[in-house]
Amino acid sequence: MHPLAWWSWALGLTVAASRTPSVPALGLIVIATLLVATLARGDGPRGRALPGFVVLAAVVVALRLTFYVVVGIKTPGTVVLDLPAVPMPAWAVGVQLFGPVTTAGLGTAAVGGLRLAALVLCVGAAGVLTSAARTLRTLPAALHELGTAVVIAVNVAPALVAAATRVRKAQRLRGLPARGLRAVPATVVPVLNDALEQSLALAASMDSRGFAGTRGRRDARVVPLLLGALLAVAVGLYGVLDPSTPPWSGPGLLALGAACGLLGSVLAGRLVTRTSFRREVWGTQASVVAMAGLGAAVLVTVAGPGPGAVATLGALAVAPLLVSLPRSGRSAA
Amino acid sequence: MIRLEGVSVTYPGAAEPTLRSVDLNVAEGELCLVVGPTGAGKTTLLRAVCGLVPHFSGGLLEGSVTVAGRDTRTHRPRDLADVVGVVLQDPAQGFVADTVEDELVYAMEQLGLSPGVMRTRVEETLDLLGLVDVRHAPVRDLSGGEQQRVAIGAVLTAHPRILVLDEPTSALDPAAAEDVLAALTRLVHDLGMTVLVAEHRLERVVQYADRIVTVAADGSVRSGPAAQMMRESVVAPPIVELGRIAGWDPLPMSVRDARRSAGPLRGRLLAAVAPVARQAPRLTAQLTASGLHVRYPRSWAVRGVDLEVRGGEVTALMGRNGAGKSSLLWALSGAGRRSAGRVLLADGSDPAALGPAQARRRVALVPQNPLDLLYLSTVGAECRAADSQAGARAGTTAARLTALAGPLDLASHPRDLSEGQRLALVLAIQLSADATVLLLDEPTRGLDYDAKRRLAGLLAQHARAGGAVLLSSHDVEFVAECADRVVVLAGGEVVADGSAREVLTASPTFAPQVAKVLHPIELLTVAQVSAALAVTA
Amino acid sequence: MSPATSLVPLARRSGVALGLASGAGLLAFCWPLAVGAQSRLAQGALAPVVLGGVLAAVLVVLHLVLAEGGLDVKAVAVLGLLSAVGAVLRPLSAGTAGIELVFIVIVLGGRVLGPGFGFALGSTTLFASALLTGGVGPWLPYQMLAAAWVGLGAGLLPWRSRVRGAPEIALLVGYGIVASLAYGLIMNLAFWPFQLGSGTGLSFVAGDPVAANLRRFALYDAATSLGWDVGRAATTATGLLLLGAPVLAALRRTATAGRFAPPPPGAGIS
Repeated sequence: MHPLAWWSWALGLTVAASRTPSVPALGLIVIATLLVATLARGDGPRGRALPGFVVLAAVVVALRLTFYVVVGIKTPGTVVLDLPAVPMPAWAVGVQLFGPVTTAGLGTAAVGGLRLAALVLCVGAAGVLTSAARTLRTLPAALHELGTAVVIAVNVAPALVAAATRVRKAQRLRGLPARGLRAVPATVVPVLNDALEQSLALAASMDSRGFAGTRGRRDARVVPLLLGALLAVAVGLYGVLDPSTPPWSGPGLLALGAACGLLGSVLAGRLVTRTSFRREVWGTQASVVAMAGLGAAVLVTVAGPGPGAVATLGALAVAPLLVSLPRSGRSAA
Repeated sequence: MIRLEGVSVTYPGAAEPTLRSVDLNVAEGELCLVVGPTGAGKTTLLRAVCGLVPHFSGGLLEGSVTVAGRDTRTHRPRDLADVVGVVLQDPAQGFVADTVEDELVYAMEQLGLSPGVMRTRVEETLDLLGLVDVRHAPVRDLSGGEQQRVAIGAVLTAHPRILVLDEPTSALDPAAAEDVLAALTRLVHDLGMTVLVAEHRLERVVQYADRIVTVAADGSVRSGPAAQMMRESVVAPPIVELGRIAGWDPLPMSVRDARRSAGPLRGRLLAAVAPVARQAPRLTAQLTASGLHVRYPRSWAVRGVDLEVRGGEVTALMGRNGAGKSSLLWALSGAGRRSAGRVLLADGSDPAALGPAQARRRVALVPQNPLDLLYLSTVGAECRAADSQAGARAGTTAARLTALAGPLDLASHPRDLSEGQRLALVLAIQLSADATVLLLDEPTRGLDYDAKRRLAGLLAQHARAGGAVLLSSHDVEFVAECADRVVVLAGGEVVADGSAREVLTASPTFAPQVAKVLHPIELLTVAQVSAALAVTA
Repeated sequence: MSPATSLVPLARRSGVALGLASGAGLLAFCWPLAVGAQSRLAQGALAPVVLGGVLAAVLVVLHLVLAEGGLDVKAVAVLGLLSAVGAVLRPLSAGTAGIELVFIVIVLGGRVLGPGFGFALGSTTLFASALLTGGVGPWLPYQMLAAAWVGLGAGLLPWRSRVRGAPEIALLVGYGIVASLAYGLIMNLAFWPFQLGSGTGLSFVAGDPVAANLRRFALYDAATSLGWDVGRAATTATGLLLLGAPVLAALRRTATAGRFAPPPPGAGIS
């Protein structure tokens, strides 16, 4: 599966979650995301990150509720828990601690929390479902060098952890304490020195294996396009935030910026003649997964919160399972 | 194929050139061996050939280096990737990718080859180097020998005509080294590649070499056909030295050659060696292990080892990679994992129960990577820290270091020292608490002949003073030189334990060259042979 | 004294790009103070998606400019290894009172190897760390940009080629404290509206006067994350005091040994 397919799916659901007014729809998105992430994830450390996201999502909801109870503005309604209000000093104008807790207030806080939790879970699920190495392969060709730095970091990190353990063991032989502040430099310095020495050896090895050997040509259009893109985005962002600007200006400039950036990236990528052995292929499955996400986003925007629309949303959210369940031991991610 | 004309290299900040007016011509299809003491400029010569000197390292290169018709002045290392493949020391440090296949394609991707071509070349390379079974494995999980072959494969896929290797077998056990060397000879013989290889362990490589280049300490270089160069070379493998004292002509380069000329010598020695009486001296055990087990989550590293480490002798621990040597040493020191069994010192205490500060007064362990112990920025600071940690008089460690390695600049950075000097520094630090039992894990990695001789002398001295020495090593020639007793481990169990003479001559893998040539005479080193000849003369 | 190393040189165009991207980044971080009540971003939970997406795109374009014309191979390798060191330190330090050892590597790396490198190091470290731990979330672009600023700032601190020893450590410790407090503050500001929601006395109110929102934010920050941020600043300071000198020495040694100032084409050969 193409990693960008999962990202499109997750992004589509994120948009849907942030825009839908319906609570059942939010619940369905959360359940669907968890279901897909659990069933379609691969093995390995990134697969194990899912529980972390679930905990984080729960914390988000709990925090919202706590905030409501402690500092929430208590509107009239059915009181669940009648806490006495604690007045605050003058410098904290408008803040009141505690006060009567109402069902309506709790409900609003919970839904707000659930919405944010859904966002966290959607993006988290995409991270769990795609492999780091394969996501990095989809970076623009012109970002190849920085991508390589990240690939190196990801590949070397486990060895560094092992090195740190080894060094701590060795330091004990010398009679150095294994804990305490003095142990920190004694562990960190040898590991860092090893890492720095390795970086030079690695650079030599990459250089003599033709690292970016064909690079060096320039395209005069690239830099102006990219700078233009940044300018358009910066101004466009302001336009989106400030309603006194013409309503089209924000989104329009953002779109212009995206177009310039894309063009600049493509032109810069053309200068790189590097090929890749494993090209990510965008197959039918990828289309199905991406369309499911896109469909969810569009549905929420155009259709109301009716039960039919909510059911369709749920169906779209779990649709990736149709094409992505791990088969014959191969990970689908 | 490789042509150096009047080449001198001076690194930035260095007063003297590292290489001095070098003229060298290596013809196509030759396997050319570069020898010389540590620090003499072997690596510089190799790096000049692939353009890393001066493009990568900086410094001044005079004269001209031409490889396959390309001048390194106008070609950066990356522009030479399709004609020169280079594998530097410690290949694991040069890996970019995660899996074997991805590592193999890296160079081809950089060169912009089409996926179809890559596919074909990956298959060819996997077959050529015997890596088919590990093609999807993570490179960092492979054994040393496999990693070395992957590193070779990773440059071969660019189809270079020249291969440059810096110490490809130094860190390998005998069997893994054989695999790598077999792959290299296949490249030379079947594909006609030109190979330039630097190696300390001459005994492993010299038999395959067509041409030998010696780099002297002053940076001058001489080259010639292998047999001719070996006649007067200062460093020579035992087999050549044996040939020299026996007066054989031509000098043997392989065990097979030597054995064919050795008939008369064996005859002379048989008379001299037979009467040697074996008296086993009564030695006291300084460290006794019984029923020692070390278990890791997935496997047993050590299974029921009973071992006495005795004062007054040097014991060598041998065995394949993964046989449990390191785990055993660490368990004996008290600092490593121990799952079952007992370890007792001469006074009846258990090093694991003593706590690190007390334990190191009895047992000192030098780990495989000496740099792990060093964290300060000068040699002097390390020595002072060692004195205070061991509660020794100020200057003790520095004095011991001078005794071990000769005078060193105490202001230099530990990482700027040569391998031999680093080992000496760590030995001095570890011995600062005056431990009786000295354990060393693979101390000979990267040492040249001279450094090994110093180390052997030092271990013998420690043993003569009543100390016990236990070291693990793959280096059979070194073990033959320095060990009194050899213990062989396999699968975490002791499979042989006896005098070095008995154990080494009986084993085909661990026999030193002299023993192989003179079999069944139980002599291990050239020094022993000359001593025996002196008796008969 | 040798001139200060700059492993990722910042040409004028990179400076312009950094300025523009930082402008966009600031808007994205401080959006609660800038957003009008009628803006569509002020409603629902659309803001994190839109702003996070825009920020991610800005980071991609910015790095395209930084890498335009090719990065030095040594810069790539050192960037990779130092990011790995940072990424390994991060999980070791997370969880306990906001300890962020990762800043130490970024600050010291930026100081020795230059502002451009510091910027790249900040973003690659956080990116690699997120990939390693599976912690890719909507906050990632924010963290990457904020950490990149920390590295950039460390590279831009004065007296890079002259001051050494205790004064340098003091400078870096001071910067480390300010940077980690600022990092916590702007991260908190960007996520304040989502974390808290509306309808509390500390909540963000779209279109309110900046001063009123700022006052509520100050109270919110003091009540929720200030303790955390102070903890983080204290760890960073302790770490820099403890590790500053040896790590700077190690980085400078590598900078010398590695000849990071690339010789002009043809130089070094006669």
